[in-house]
Amino acid sequence: MPTLLSDDQRRLLVDLLRAAFPHDTFPMGPYERAAQAVVDAAAANPRLQAQLLQGLDDLDRQREVPFSRLDPDIAAVVLRGIADTPFFTGIVDVAVVALYDDHEVWDVLGYEGASYDKGGYIDRGFNDLDWLPDPRIESYGDDSRQEASA
Amino acid sequence: MTRFDYDDSDVVVIVGSGAGGGTLAHELCRRGFKTVVLEAGPHLTGEDYHNDEWAAFGQMAWTDPRTTSGSWAIADDFPNLPAWIVKAVGGTTTHWAGACPRFKSHEFAARTTYGDIEGADLLDWPITLSELEPYYDQAEIKMGVTHRHGRPPLPANNNYKVFANGADKLGYRDYSTGPYATNAEPYDGRPASIQDGFNFQGDKHGSKWSTLVAELPKAEATGNLDLRPDSQAVQILHGPDGRATGVLYVDRNGTLRRQRAAVVSVAGNSIETARLLLLSASTRFPDGMANSSGQVGRNYMRHTTGTVWGQFDKPVRMYRGETMAGVIADESRLDTGRGFVGGYYMQTIALGPAFFAKFVAPGSWGPKLAEIVDGYLNTAGMWIVGEDMPQGTNRITLSDTVDEHGIPVANVHFDDHPNDVAMRRHGQQQGAAVYKAVGAHRTIETPPYPSTHNLGTCRMSQRPGDGVVDRFGRAHDVPNLFVTDGSVFTTGAAANPTLTIVALATRQADFIASDFRTGRN
Ligand SMILES: Cc1cc2nc3c(=O)[nH]c(=O)nc-3n(C[C@H](O)[C@H](O)[C@H](O)COP(=O)(O)OP(=O)(O)OC[C@H]3O[C@@H](n4cnc5c(N)ncnc54)[C@H](O)[C@@H]3O)c2cc1C
Repeated sequence: MPTLLSDDQRRLLVDLLRAAFPHDTFPMGPYERAAQAVVDAAAANPRLQAQLLQGLDDLDRQREVPFSRLDPDIAAVVLRGIADTPFFTGIVDVAVVALYDDHEVWDVLGYEGASYDKGGYIDRGFNDLDWLPDPRIESYGDDSRQEASA
Repeated sequence: MTRFDYDDSDVVVIVGSGAGGGTLAHELCRRGFKTVVLEAGPHLTGEDYHNDEWAAFGQMAWTDPRTTSGSWAIADDFPNLPAWIVKAVGGTTTHWAGACPRFKSHEFAARTTYGDIEGADLLDWPITLSELEPYYDQAEIKMGVTHRHGRPPLPANNNYKVFANGADKLGYRDYSTGPYATNAEPYDGRPASIQDGFNFQGDKHGSKWSTLVAELPKAEATGNLDLRPDSQAVQILHGPDGRATGVLYVDRNGTLRRQRAAVVSVAGNSIETARLLLLSASTRFPDGMANSSGQVGRNYMRHTTGTVWGQFDKPVRMYRGETMAGVIADESRLDTGRGFVGGYYMQTIALGPAFFAKFVAPGSWGPKLAEIVDGYLNTAGMWIVGEDMPQGTNRITLSDTVDEHGIPVANVHFDDHPNDVAMRRHGQQQGAAVYKAVGAHRTIETPPYPSTHNLGTCRMSQRPGDGVVDRFGRAHDVPNLFVTDGSVFTTGAAANPTLTIVALATRQADFIASDFRTGRN
């Protein structure tokens, strides 16, 4: 099923995601791809697409100016107002997975992703934390055989 | 590849190839029993696995529909995903983390030890720790559990360093990196861990024990294993005398097959095990097979769990290395003075950003979530796992929803018991204190994930009226029908369940071998 969303509605969706998941450090790419994931999910789910079409239009009519031109604080208030609508929860459901699974986001967060093809972390810092002393690794007693103490 | 005839009525048919089914298969095959394992999922191996959370989950998790009800948070947060169970050869041992504590002796006598807890349906196990001890030894040796029988401990990874230092500062004494069924050094033909993480995604390297890499290949080598992937059991058949005679299953082409059997074992992991017994209703067994007590599906348990995250000013990089490799056992003690009965463990846990963001505060968004995720690199994590109270009303029933074959799926009903709530609160407070003791500027308490420990539903009991199976996991009502997974747990104890499932399956194999001569080579 092709999407009925206009280009303007797609741009609005990107802005909605930036307001809903506000990271100063994230570039535009991940938000655009997360928006695309929502559009794709909606393409396979008429109910979600219907909610998107209506919901995005409604979003622009919440204040005097279009959503995209709202102050971040006001935008957040607008989103809080619609937080429990199926329109918004439907978007969040898909977007939270797509956004934080984006490799560009991983780079920003410092997550290194797949490790097996690089030989794991055994020689790449699995134990390089140096701001605490090295703790013991052996058990003090023997937890599994300890009898009930009370 | 061994193949037995559909009409060969000498075989043992095992439904499910995970911890319970895979172990029983190996133990029976090496004793000469012709064994057919029916596994609903595909036969994937390390090469197929993804070092990627969502991709791996989509590839292997049981995502066929299930429904939920009850007051537990899962019914809101993940209404169609009550449990995280793997549907593939090896079952959930492909995604498990490997924590292997034993039960404590009082945990086999929960009713006697804790007394009559209102709203709980506690019952003593019909077996004791001392009866199971030799099998715990065998299971630990089989699985290569670290810190046991001469197996060296796993080294401290970054997540453990934070966890253990915090534990020490708080005055806990019983912390260590084990016991885990992951090789710190090569063992049993499997390599040492290269600290590559992604244990929850199937361990590509094979240093973690699973039935896929250990029990099933050994069973296969005997020539007595007929492993049938993509084969979902839908009904256990019985004869006029009430004995099980075979299993009907849907194969990969959607064709219904009948495999005759001398003995049937069900090891589909609590939810599916109860579902299959309920589906196997007949004129003789109107409420489902092995269900004259009405206990099939009841007393579903999932452990009292929760996660605590600590965020620091400096990097942790919790994802580097084994996903879980640290235990604090102090709170697993018997001590009813804490406002609840039962104990709990704290265990290190790491998630990647994708799961972290999805699970840290389900359904949340906004600046608060963004800030938490921004702190990902500096985050340490621990999981709390403790004994939950069995309740007859927490149960698996057949839903109105059907699967792709038109078969009713399981509905999972669960209400937290007040004891569960009190324990979770205590655990989360203590967990936060561990991290604050080493300078966490923020701690976050995450509600339970879809259940990874699924227990009860066919509990073991001395008296047939109190449960579904006897002390060997044999159905009270059907002498050649066995249950071989965590469904048989009379109570849940604090310990992660798999070591006990493996020990019980090993013990059950001894029993079956001495009791059934049929099918012996
Ligand atoms: C992320 C994660 C981490 C975990 N970590 C730990 C840990 O550290 N320690 C621990 O002790 N436990 C852990 N567990 C739990 C552990 O994996 C389970 O306790 C264990 O695998 C249960 O064994 P089982 O035999 O009951 O079921 P499973 O291992 O789930 O195997 C059941 C199999 O039966 C198959 N099946 C079901 N129904 C049918 C049917 N009708 N026909 C054919 N096949 C069927 C399923 O597809 C599955 O493959 C973890 C689980 C998860 C998800």
